[in-house]
Amino acid sequence: MQRRTWLGLGVAGSLAVAVLGGGAAWVLRSPAWRGGTLSPAGREVFRAVARAVLDGTLPTDAAAHARALEAFLGRLATALAALPAGTQAQVDELISLLATAPGRQLIAGLSQPWAAAPNDAVQASLQAMRTSSLTLRRQAYHALRDLTQGAYFADPATWAALGYPGPQPIAPAAA
Amino acid sequence: MTTLTDPIVQGLARGWRVLGGGRGAPPSELECDVAIIGSGAGAGITAELLSAAGLKLVIVEEGPLKSSRDFKQLESEAYPSLYQEVGARKTADKAINIMQGRCVGGSTTVNWTSSFRTPSATLAFWRERFGLADFSDDALSPWFLRAEQRLSIGPWLAPPNENNDLLRRGALKLGISAAAIQRNVKGCWNLGSCGLGCPTNAKQSMLVTTIPAALDRGASLLVETRAERFEIEQGRIAALHCSAVLPNGAVAEGGARTRIVAKHYVLAGGAINSPALLMRSAAPDPHGVLGARTFLHPVVASVATYDHRVAGWEGAPQTIYSDHFLDIDPIDGPIGYKLEAPPLHPMLFATSIVGFGRDAAGRLADFPNDNALLALLRDGFHPQSPGGRVRLRGDGSPELDYPLTDFVMDGARRALASMAELQFAAGALKVGVGHELAPLYTSWAEAREGIRALPMKPLLTKVFSAHVMGGCGLAADAGRGVLRPDGVHWQIHNLSVHDGSIFPTSIGANPQLSIYGIVNKLATDLARRLSGRDVALAAS
Repeated sequence: MQRRTWLGLGVAGSLAVAVLGGGAAWVLRSPAWRGGTLSPAGREVFRAVARAVLDGTLPTDAAAHARALEAFLGRLATALAALPAGTQAQVDELISLLATAPGRQLIAGLSQPWAAAPNDAVQASLQAMRTSSLTLRRQAYHALRDLTQGAYFADPATWAALGYPGPQPIAPAAA
Repeated sequence: MTTLTDPIVQGLARGWRVLGGGRGAPPSELECDVAIIGSGAGAGITAELLSAAGLKLVIVEEGPLKSSRDFKQLESEAYPSLYQEVGARKTADKAINIMQGRCVGGSTTVNWTSSFRTPSATLAFWRERFGLADFSDDALSPWFLRAEQRLSIGPWLAPPNENNDLLRRGALKLGISAAAIQRNVKGCWNLGSCGLGCPTNAKQSMLVTTIPAALDRGASLLVETRAERFEIEQGRIAALHCSAVLPNGAVAEGGARTRIVAKHYVLAGGAINSPALLMRSAAPDPHGVLGARTFLHPVVASVATYDHRVAGWEGAPQTIYSDHFLDIDPIDGPIGYKLEAPPLHPMLFATSIVGFGRDAAGRLADFPNDNALLALLRDGFHPQSPGGRVRLRGDGSPELDYPLTDFVMDGARRALASMAELQFAAGALKVGVGHELAPLYTSWAEAREGIRALPMKPLLTKVFSAHVMGGCGLAADAGRGVLRPDGVHWQIHNLSVHDGSIFPTSIGANPQLSIYGIVNKLATDLARRLSGRDVALAAS
């Protein structure tokens, strides 16, 4: 099966080879999700990204926070599965790369593993990607942020943070 | 809970021929007079007229057949089922997010109902630069009028929602023009969910008007079926090859394959998809114009917070506009822009604002008091605004390469400033323009200085599009366009293209009525050529 690369130009792929050497082929064969399920590595990346992106929005109570993150990861997997194959492959490649130490350091500029990194370190990484002069890093920022924001607010349970009451009910037509 | 009727459910019960997508596999071979690819604005108008002429039609749509009983006003359901690429189709460099429909009815099922005739200045440019001598206001007026009557396009008499009224009041304060937008609705409930599929069938989209008319006359509709490629032999299409697809667009393994043989083919898959089908078919392109000059009306946005509830999700979207900034300069001068106020829903809002973390949380908490403005940049009228080019990825799927030139981004900067000024004039407490480096401004003076210094680069400036145009342009000679002025392909004699891809430039206004009106003319002429009969759109 033909694999696609993040930019469609092989940039991330060649970056992976440059960074990971012979390991690249292995990394790029380890999808961040499969069959609608995020891999453990993919979940780790997105759990850290979501904590950072949704800081101030996620519930503060520890148990509710954990439940909200878990539910978010479920919605994210559903959203990823709905993407066209080409886009799935691109996102998959990005996440797979970010899940490796060299990829994480190069793209996100994050020295610690995702699960161990404090929230402010992940936020500093996101900010560096967001304002980077490298197109690839800005693209990665937008992919991570937009997937997170979109999947999180897909659920009516999150709408209270927005003060959004939900769709107006459609009253039955008069008899 | 509702007793609203669903015209699609009723039509299927009457025996409409709809196949694919779980409704029975289409046969491996089909014959008809005309195969129509797509079911959106251009396809719908064409289908009604050609079926009225007694022609046997097969309509091929990649998206699903969804209808009012499916439309729950939920973004989480609408984007995956009704939009191209889950509403997140992007240009090649990911700098522009494109919202385009992919369902029966195409973008008309999910658009925001804004209806404008093609502006006079745009038509004049086409006559002058593309030799489209017959494209004048007077010549097209009857075709627009009939389309307007058919689709109940007229003034929207309810008061604008607060989101739109802020645009009106801000413009009034600044002394610039603003006016009401006509809408294609009948008995609209003013819910504000047009973009998620109209749950009350008030929007007169192709889904509830022309496509049902064609199906009632015996047309066949293949859904969740992709037009893969044409067989082209000696300047004629011999057949169209189609495949069943899964909801995410992947070809269904072991799914139906259908070869359609028709006397004539009408391609109306929308800009990006229509040129891509021709590219997959290795269609002749001796002048290198196929897929070039694809336009987007690149959109930049500004969100303002007020001291009162705006509730941008409530009520009809986009009912007020201002063309002030389109009319300042000549059409081929510095790029101009149209201002409108879009509907606001959680996912669209959360992904469209800038930032993350506590900064974003603060912006999200302001949502009920927020007004959003859009500026649609009128691309395609200047040498430094050549638009984008469609190309194929390795798997044959299309991709639009659209470089955001300095010329376009100069307009984006002016547009951000215009919107911020208008929002402060309307009483905004703070304004967040769509740029990653812009803080929340608390005064027009601060915004003016700040916006002047922003680096207007792709992926720092938030850019969107909901209007894809061009790529199979009409022109008086083959060197300047893919199509003859009558919509027939210059090199393929039994192929017409009838969708937004036929425009030689962007429109400079929301394009749906431009497609309806111009295709009304092209398809009426085509019906006469193919059947010898004079037909017209139904009265309403």
